[in-house]
Amino acid sequence: MGGFTKENVLAAKRGYTYRITRRQFLVATSAAALAACAPAAVTPGASGSPAATPGKALKIGQLLPFTGVYAELGNSMRRATELYLKQNDQKIANRPVTIVYEDDTNVTATGIQKTQKFIDQDQVDVMLGVVPTPLAYGIRNAVHAAKLIFIDTNAGGNALTRDTPDCKPACKSPYIFRSSFSSYQISYPIGDYLSAKGTKEFFLAYANYGFGTESAADFTTGLKKNGGSVTGNVAPPLGNADFAPFVTQIKNQPTKNVYSFFSGADAIGFIKTWNQLGLPAAGYKMYGAGFLTEQDVLKEVKDLANGAITSLFWAVELDNAENKKFVADFQKQYPLLPDVFAVQAYDGMTALGEALKKIGGDTSDKDKLVKALEDVSFKSPRGDFTFDKTTHNPIQDIYLREVKTQGGQTVNTILDKIAKVTDPGK
Amino acid sequence: MSPELLFQQALNGLSFGALLFILAAGLSLVFGMMDVINLAHGAFYMLGAYVALTVVQRTGSFWLALVAAPSALGLLGLVLEPLLLRRLRGRHLDQVLLTIGVALVVVDQIGLVWGREVRSLPFPPGLDASIAIFGSVYPVYRLFVIAFGVVLAAAISVVYRRTKLGMLIRAGVQDAEMLGALGVDIDRLFAITFAVGAALAGLAGVIAAPVFGMQPGMDSDGLLYSLIVVVVGGLGTLGGAVAGSVLVGPIDTFGKVLFQDFALALIFAIVALVLLLKPTGLLGRVRIAR
Amino acid sequence: MTRAAPLAVVLIAAALLVTFPYWSAAWESSRFATTVLRDMLVFAIFALSLDLLVGYAGMPSLGHAAFFGAGAYAAGITGQRLATDQLPVTLGAAALVAAVLALVIGALVVRSEGIFFLMLTLALAQIVFAIAFQWTALTGGSNGLSGVGRPTLAGLDFSAPDRMYVLVAVTFLGVALLLWSLVRSPYGRALVGVRENERRMRALGYDTARLKLSAFVVAGALAGIAGALSAYSQRFVSPGDAGIGTSIQAFVMVLIGGAGTLLGPVLGAGVVMYIQRVLSSAIGVSETVLGLVFIAFVLLARQGMVGVGRAAWSRARSR
Repeated sequence: MGGFTKENVLAAKRGYTYRITRRQFLVATSAAALAACAPAAVTPGASGSPAATPGKALKIGQLLPFTGVYAELGNSMRRATELYLKQNDQKIANRPVTIVYEDDTNVTATGIQKTQKFIDQDQVDVMLGVVPTPLAYGIRNAVHAAKLIFIDTNAGGNALTRDTPDCKPACKSPYIFRSSFSSYQISYPIGDYLSAKGTKEFFLAYANYGFGTESAADFTTGLKKNGGSVTGNVAPPLGNADFAPFVTQIKNQPTKNVYSFFSGADAIGFIKTWNQLGLPAAGYKMYGAGFLTEQDVLKEVKDLANGAITSLFWAVELDNAENKKFVADFQKQYPLLPDVFAVQAYDGMTALGEALKKIGGDTSDKDKLVKALEDVSFKSPRGDFTFDKTTHNPIQDIYLREVKTQGGQTVNTILDKIAKVTDPGK
Repeated sequence: MSPELLFQQALNGLSFGALLFILAAGLSLVFGMMDVINLAHGAFYMLGAYVALTVVQRTGSFWLALVAAPSALGLLGLVLEPLLLRRLRGRHLDQVLLTIGVALVVVDQIGLVWGREVRSLPFPPGLDASIAIFGSVYPVYRLFVIAFGVVLAAAISVVYRRTKLGMLIRAGVQDAEMLGALGVDIDRLFAITFAVGAALAGLAGVIAAPVFGMQPGMDSDGLLYSLIVVVVGGLGTLGGAVAGSVLVGPIDTFGKVLFQDFALALIFAIVALVLLLKPTGLLGRVRIAR
Repeated sequence: MTRAAPLAVVLIAAALLVTFPYWSAAWESSRFATTVLRDMLVFAIFALSLDLLVGYAGMPSLGHAAFFGAGAYAAGITGQRLATDQLPVTLGAAALVAAVLALVIGALVVRSEGIFFLMLTLALAQIVFAIAFQWTALTGGSNGLSGVGRPTLAGLDFSAPDRMYVLVAVTFLGVALLLWSLVRSPYGRALVGVRENERRMRALGYDTARLKLSAFVVAGALAGIAGALSAYSQRFVSPGDAGIGTSIQAFVMVLIGGAGTLLGPVLGAGVVMYIQRVLSSAIGVSETVLGLVFIAFVLLARQGMVGVGRAAWSRARSR
């Protein structure tokens, strides 16, 4: 039970108060489970009316994965949240901050229920988090109905911040903001950019589920804008571990430029197999959405990824004052380099902090807070950060990056910048 | 498909099949002897990969990991069998259910000990290159996996046929109770069988790690694939595990690239088909476990 | 004790269960407890339906989530495609689709036994999962089916959380009552007979394959109803609802609670959901806890919580 004690020690160190509320809650729900218990044992109290006035604790719910395939993303986002709080003396707009972390355990139904817990039980003032797009879509209506301000710090499905017919699979809400990206933003601009520069023909390789297919489609649209075209594709299914069959297919077709959407373990498998089957020597060139070559991947594949060109709204090497400070502070706090997920969570907290400062920390008037968030503008580690007022998706610069090994370190070097990319919103 | 492509994909399928054999051999052995489908087999496979990661990080030696991880898993099996499974001897379905609980605990603890980042094991030096075959380069490591699978199958076969342990195992697979009546220490035999099964899962984890990497969820992928192999090939026999992996590896490989939108359903459709036409698998014995 | 006394206790408990959101309203945690209890009851229906197979008919299915998922998708898709929120339409579609699917899968599996039955149900359910995951135009694919509406019945709108809860609780009681009478009927006894000794039942002139198939269809339809209730409650269907994780979850519930009893799966659903949804908030090792609890029950109390309770009760009485 090592984790149990570790968790407790961590919590004690950071002085969270949520653990106590949880214990109370455990007792309370135990009683609920035994519905025959005498209701007299329950303390009658005023329900509703969350503390919303300045000076009182600001309660933020964060729904993140701490178990399952996305666990490391959740951990990274939690680290960034805690870094932000440490830098701000655990306060936002003079209100002490309580964070309630919940684990979605990579099960959508669990995530939906924990969101309901934020709404009904914890009565949080603001909600942040959510890694998988299906979960973001799944909680969209509940969050919207409860008028809970939700800042999506990862899930990139386009529909969450768009007008869609019948709101399917999701659609924008006045109460939903996004501090990460839409798949359009990391896929369309690079297609547009590359075809405009004269690289017109691409072969596609992407994970065969929602996010991969969406990214591939957006890239194709960008490509076609300047007369580019897609010559074919391979799409490994869910749970695929062996990339050899797919890379072999790529090697046996003539288009040398390959755009791919993989992340995490898939990206590692793809890049290693790509090299093992000798694609660089055969003249093939790897392109992709930025997650293909983020730190979690680069630290495992190292120079095998050299030459890959990807697009993302950030890179750890990005040369601006805010990023340098962020990376240094993060490394001081943890013996790690921050990753893009950390930036997303950090910017989510910053956006919230900036908005609340402007309205004196008042979370009681939701519409006022929405307005304040819409007006937020700050310098993020990724560059200038603002929300698009119509969609609540960030307007951000997209960087073209090339993987290079310099002085023993494999990094994403910045090649070019596509300024102020806005999601079309439709 | 051009002949070159066909050949390359066949090699991919065979090397994947060889890995599947290493993975499924332990599951099949345990079932053959004990009538237990070990649903923690995927968790053991995952644990093997993570133990290998630690060994490689500490010593830099893949070959040491190739010995250490199966040994560690073997020890775990040696402890778990008497501690848990033995108490339910004869209640096969309960033993199967018990292994679900073991899998839950093992996987959760792996996450706590090693973290839940995606990891990868470097290819062992000497096997990290690619060589030219029929005008195309192919990774040496995948050829090594094929060779390893063949050697392992041959070794198991020799143990089966030529050693006392092998004789006991063959007899046990036929009728374990009878062996007990003949004075053989069944407790010891079962503990060793379970340990060998776990060790083989660990071995598969080490072999797979450089190619497939490590991440949460690899346990269920490993379990599903090894179940597919033993069900298609036939439960509980070495020949069944060989036949299953030689079939499933290439079918999965070609299925994934030829029918990519149906890849997820295809392999299970084949499993269902085999079970319906020949419920004991292609080379299985008739055996009903309850 | 007279016969009337237990009946009165059951009736009072049922009334308390259905009215939970109202009598607990003054309590701070009432709203959240209502959603937790609602989800427990949805899974209790699902676990009860699986128990008809595992506990009564002796068919350990590892693919029962296929019917839960089929019901959830059927309710969600008919509601959206036909633009209706009528409970009889969407719930009926869920039960029907799940029953037909169970008829097809059941016809293929009822003649297998033991491990092969386990594997065959698992494989066929994985095909259903794969279809749900890949057929994006129909099911929404990996993104899931969102925006599922809550139902209405004869002008009664179940969209408010308390009413949604009442719908689930009443359905739960209905299903429990149905199964209660079913397992006490000659049909139910015949099923147990098949579990105990199929050959003997065949010798007695029963068409055992048909008996098992009928149980498979009833269990499938009930699982479909549970799936529909889950879709209404979550307003969302995920392909994972039809996946192996959900199947194993239900299996664990039945085993922990006590297979072959009606109370067992309900208690099991309560405990498992409590560990996964509530306890997991407090400690980061819910899977380890769940695994250990499960091992303990399989090892020490194979009859589940109900078995432990019965043993304690008979010990207390014999003293």
